[in-house]
Amino acid sequence: MLEVHGLTAGYGGNPVLEDVRIEIGRGKLVGLLGANNAGKSTFINCLSGVVPASSGRILFEGEDITRLSPKSRVERGIIQVPEGRLVFPDMSVRENLLLGGVNATARPRRAERIDYVLDLLPRLKERIGQAAGTLSGGEQQMLAIGRGLVAEPRLLMLDEPSLGLAPRFVQYVFEIIDKLHADGLTVLLVEQNLNLTLRHSDYCYVLERGRVVVEGVSAHVKDDPRTKSAYLGL
Amino acid sequence: MDELLQALAQGFLVGSTYGLLALGMGLIYSVSGLVNFAHGDFFSLGMYLCFALFSAFALDPYVSLVITLPAMMLIGAGVYQFLIRPIAGHHLLMVIQLTLGLALLVQNGILMVFGGQFERTPSIVESKLVLLGPVVVRMPHVIACLASFGIAAALYVLLRSTDWGRAIRSVHQNAKAAALMGIDVGRVRMLTFAAGLGLLAIAAALIVPGTPMHPSLGLRYTVITLIVMVLGGMTNFVGIMLAGLVIGISEALGTIYLSDMLGMLMPYLIFVVIMLLRPQGLLKAA
Repeated sequence: MLEVHGLTAGYGGNPVLEDVRIEIGRGKLVGLLGANNAGKSTFINCLSGVVPASSGRILFEGEDITRLSPKSRVERGIIQVPEGRLVFPDMSVRENLLLGGVNATARPRRAERIDYVLDLLPRLKERIGQAAGTLSGGEQQMLAIGRGLVAEPRLLMLDEPSLGLAPRFVQYVFEIIDKLHADGLTVLLVEQNLNLTLRHSDYCYVLERGRVVVEGVSAHVKDDPRTKSAYLGL
Repeated sequence: MDELLQALAQGFLVGSTYGLLALGMGLIYSVSGLVNFAHGDFFSLGMYLCFALFSAFALDPYVSLVITLPAMMLIGAGVYQFLIRPIAGHHLLMVIQLTLGLALLVQNGILMVFGGQFERTPSIVESKLVLLGPVVVRMPHVIACLASFGIAAALYVLLRSTDWGRAIRSVHQNAKAAALMGIDVGRVRMLTFAAGLGLLAIAAALIVPGTPMHPSLGLRYTVITLIVMVLGGMTNFVGIMLAGLVIGISEALGTIYLSDMLGMLMPYLIFVVIMLLRPQGLLKAA
């Protein structure tokens, strides 16, 4: 579904990503692991088009999207749930969800999508009129995921959804991700949380200083000594 | 007593137009984080466009709006796209200098074309008076006031309950997240800048009947607008309209009870006092 070839990107001449090659098959749950500053967020932002690629190609369902605007990518169903959640704090939960489906592709079925999201994440239903900024961290993460789902993703990219959450909520977030995966959604999960990600994903890539150092079926990545060294920076 | 009522009515009517001026500035500020120091001069430009259309075709200012509104919006879109956007990512000071430069450019452009004398643009309703009990007010002021509140209300509804409005607010609250929703952030900012100048075109048509204009008055309007916006809490549109009334009424009271000169100073004095007591503005930012 998604193929990334030789992707290099960075800010002001310093490449943060170098020659990254990644493939995500339809319906797969693929993990992208790495320590802080490994380039995970830059990679996901490149896929969303908010950080430009300096070289390399990004193919989505065979189409070269490397130079497309963020808007065009959202309309193709490449949806990011960003790190730090980035909900719109002064807007209600409902307004946040409405904005999730504001793009031209998702808008016609937006009302049904919101109903689906509220069934999937009932907590949001209780909070529907509340300003998003007043939600707890876990609820905000629910909202960020829900907002992404309203957009009718074909590829859902989650950037560190477990960051800063209580263990109870981390468990819940991963249950939701599992459920979405089981329903056939293609998911790219960017995480620092090594064990949880390996346990839940089909395939994993490990980034270290902007390069893919390990890749493989999740069970193998777990046992690869380079995975640990990438984390510990050895 | 009648004098007081007269001053209050006058201040209320004029203040509502200050509010309208500041809504344009607040709208631009809320999505681009940009204070447009050329605001008052673009407002002058709007008034002089009305004047030119009256001189050339004897168009009433209210009618000339069908030309000045799209013209000003086009100017706004162009200014944003070709001047502001290229330096938007740079230091805030650069953008401020740019808008200050624009202010001088517009002001001197007007001076060059229309000369340095005072001008007036008449309207058919100009000399009509409205009697409200003991209070006498001019018809154009009543029209301006009603239109200002009407526009403010429409803008409020638009921002609250349409996708267009939610897109604007999302860019204001988090531009990156807005982009991830598939909102074209650059386009929203350009359109809002255009809408801000469109509001000025409307304000110009409302205020121009019977109001003397001079190329150098732009800065005064910028300062009054800035005060109203800050007083209103920058992006709170209800607060901005309220602040417009406070400033308008204080100006009218000062002019009647003190003197013409001191009356003009009243808004600034009131501004300083309120800012000392409520630095966040009359109402909190929305």
